[in-house]
Amino acid sequence: MGSELLTGLTAVLDWEVLGFLTFGVTLGAIFGALPGLTATMGVAVLTPLTFWISAEQGLAMLLGIYCGAIPAGGIPAILINVPGTPASIATSWDGYAMARKGQAGLALGINALMSTVGQLTSILFLALLAFPIAGFALKFGPAEYFGLALFGISLMAGISRDQVLKGLLAGTLGLALALVGLDPMTAYPRYTFGMSEFLDGISFVPVMIGLFGLAEALVQISERHSIRELPAGVLGRILPCLNEWKKMLPSMMSGAGLGTIVGAIPAAGGDIGSVIAWEQARRISPGKEEFGKGSLRGLAASCAACNGAIGGAMTTMLTLGIPGDAVSAILIGALLIHGIQPGPLLFQNNQAFVFSIVFLLVFASLLIMLIGLLGARPLAGILRIPSPWLWAGIVLFGTVGAYALNNAVVDVWVMFAAGIAGFLFRKARIPLGPLVLGLILGPMMEANLRRALIIGRGDWIGILTRPILLFFLTAAVLLPVLPLIRSKLFMRKE
Amino acid sequence: MDRSSCIAAAGFTALGAYLVVSGGGFPAGAGGLPGAGFFPQTIGALMVLLALGLLFKARERSGTTGFAFVNAAQTAASAGMLLIYLALWGTGFFPLRTALFLTLFLKFLGQRWRSAAGVSLVLTAVVTAVFQYGLNVSLE
Repeated sequence: MGSELLTGLTAVLDWEVLGFLTFGVTLGAIFGALPGLTATMGVAVLTPLTFWISAEQGLAMLLGIYCGAIPAGGIPAILINVPGTPASIATSWDGYAMARKGQAGLALGINALMSTVGQLTSILFLALLAFPIAGFALKFGPAEYFGLALFGISLMAGISRDQVLKGLLAGTLGLALALVGLDPMTAYPRYTFGMSEFLDGISFVPVMIGLFGLAEALVQISERHSIRELPAGVLGRILPCLNEWKKMLPSMMSGAGLGTIVGAIPAAGGDIGSVIAWEQARRISPGKEEFGKGSLRGLAASCAACNGAIGGAMTTMLTLGIPGDAVSAILIGALLIHGIQPGPLLFQNNQAFVFSIVFLLVFASLLIMLIGLLGARPLAGILRIPSPWLWAGIVLFGTVGAYALNNAVVDVWVMFAAGIAGFLFRKARIPLGPLVLGLILGPMMEANLRRALIIGRGDWIGILTRPILLFFLTAAVLLPVLPLIRSKLFMRKE
Repeated sequence: MDRSSCIAAAGFTALGAYLVVSGGGFPAGAGGLPGAGFFPQTIGALMVLLALGLLFKARERSGTTGFAFVNAAQTAASAGMLLIYLALWGTGFFPLRTALFLTLFLKFLGQRWRSAAGVSLVLTAVVTAVFQYGLNVSLE
């Protein structure tokens, strides 16, 4: 393992890889700092560019965007009370209150420092636990993989809060889209409508660009966001003093830990993690009444948690091949472009690449701390860019990026159709996450179930009663059903 | 009644029914092994079932809610402009076509002619430089 570790580090210490990482982190910081441009959108729109570079370089750029955008999402949350990314919702609760008290600089500094603490904690989790988890997952056969995929989709629908049915429907739509192309076992063409472009299935990246790029731009045009009012005055000091560090330490540690654990749960990202961590910090900290009114502890917990989710989500993605959040779903697509299949076999066959990812994440988190501390003022300044300029850029880069993947006009139309569908789904409050998960996990589900049946000679009962599969199936059924039963019981009580 | 959910449920029911029917046309399996039509039919049936559940729930809801379109005309026009731009893809001179589309797009979103044209030229130049000259993608 030592030589693999060294090979992974050497691959990352290449000046081109580090250049792409720096470019990605800077771009991510800009994406995160601008409300409306999210980490998901940045990674989706930039994924086509990775087609022309090596896997390490491409991943360096995309991980840089991911690690840069999440902390930078805290900048508008603190300065103008508008979270730059969904993960920084809880950051705005105490961060904006601090800015109003004249402590905007300190809030931005804490955001940068705690983000790095959160990211490094979760990377440690990834480095320590990924190999044992992948080792356990190596025991999985096709039947267990089928169960895991079903569980992933069900989990995402289950956490769609009050939209469980809509989440499940979006998941089935993703599964239906995954049917397009050749049947995985018999190569019989399905839903290709005579078009050879669809024989390989619907390209995943144009769908993502449409759902998270074009659809988001259309939603913002329809809602006409015009938030670019910066607070007047100076930011003030940026670094916390020793006493403030002492105050924040317990919340920082609990936030980083909780964020990592929540991030590791498929489909539960930094947005959920940071809210849970903020609430937990409020419960255990002295001075509960300060929370929401500019509490250092509240800010530290939320910033550490939303960034801790990154390493958690990467652990699930790399070890099981199941995305931990929307960004890691796109990262799976990006890795597949380079012929790399995330999952336990990656840990057996390409350990050096896994170590490269760990080192890339470490460097990215240190870079974003530097950018966050030294570049707080210029990053605050980019909030003045008019929204229509950003929408035009997203639409253009998304369109050309979708086309450039295969030089195929059909991909541009797929992106457009996904964009319109995504816009309508957002308006009908249908979550997009389960759709993406269905599209990714659909082929895995179908191929593994049918493979398991071939191995088991068509014995359905024998396969469905395998212990691990049975556990996944039970969980997959219970997760979306339990909230429905609970809400019915509450309604009756009322 | 939640109108947006009713419309979504109707759409999903139609798609689910199509999957069930079309799946019947694919080769059937044998000896307990599912064929190419098994998954489309299963997914279709599940979709119909869930959509009917959504329809039932949406009709139960008190009051009438629907799609919240604040800026419907502007959004539709933006999507329409992009549609025309995509329909003209491959008809020639990418930079000119793109700059023109972006200028109109930005003007329509309330930007002044001068800033719309300026931003369009910069964006077109960046995209052309990155994709056509940097990555050798033929955009014509």
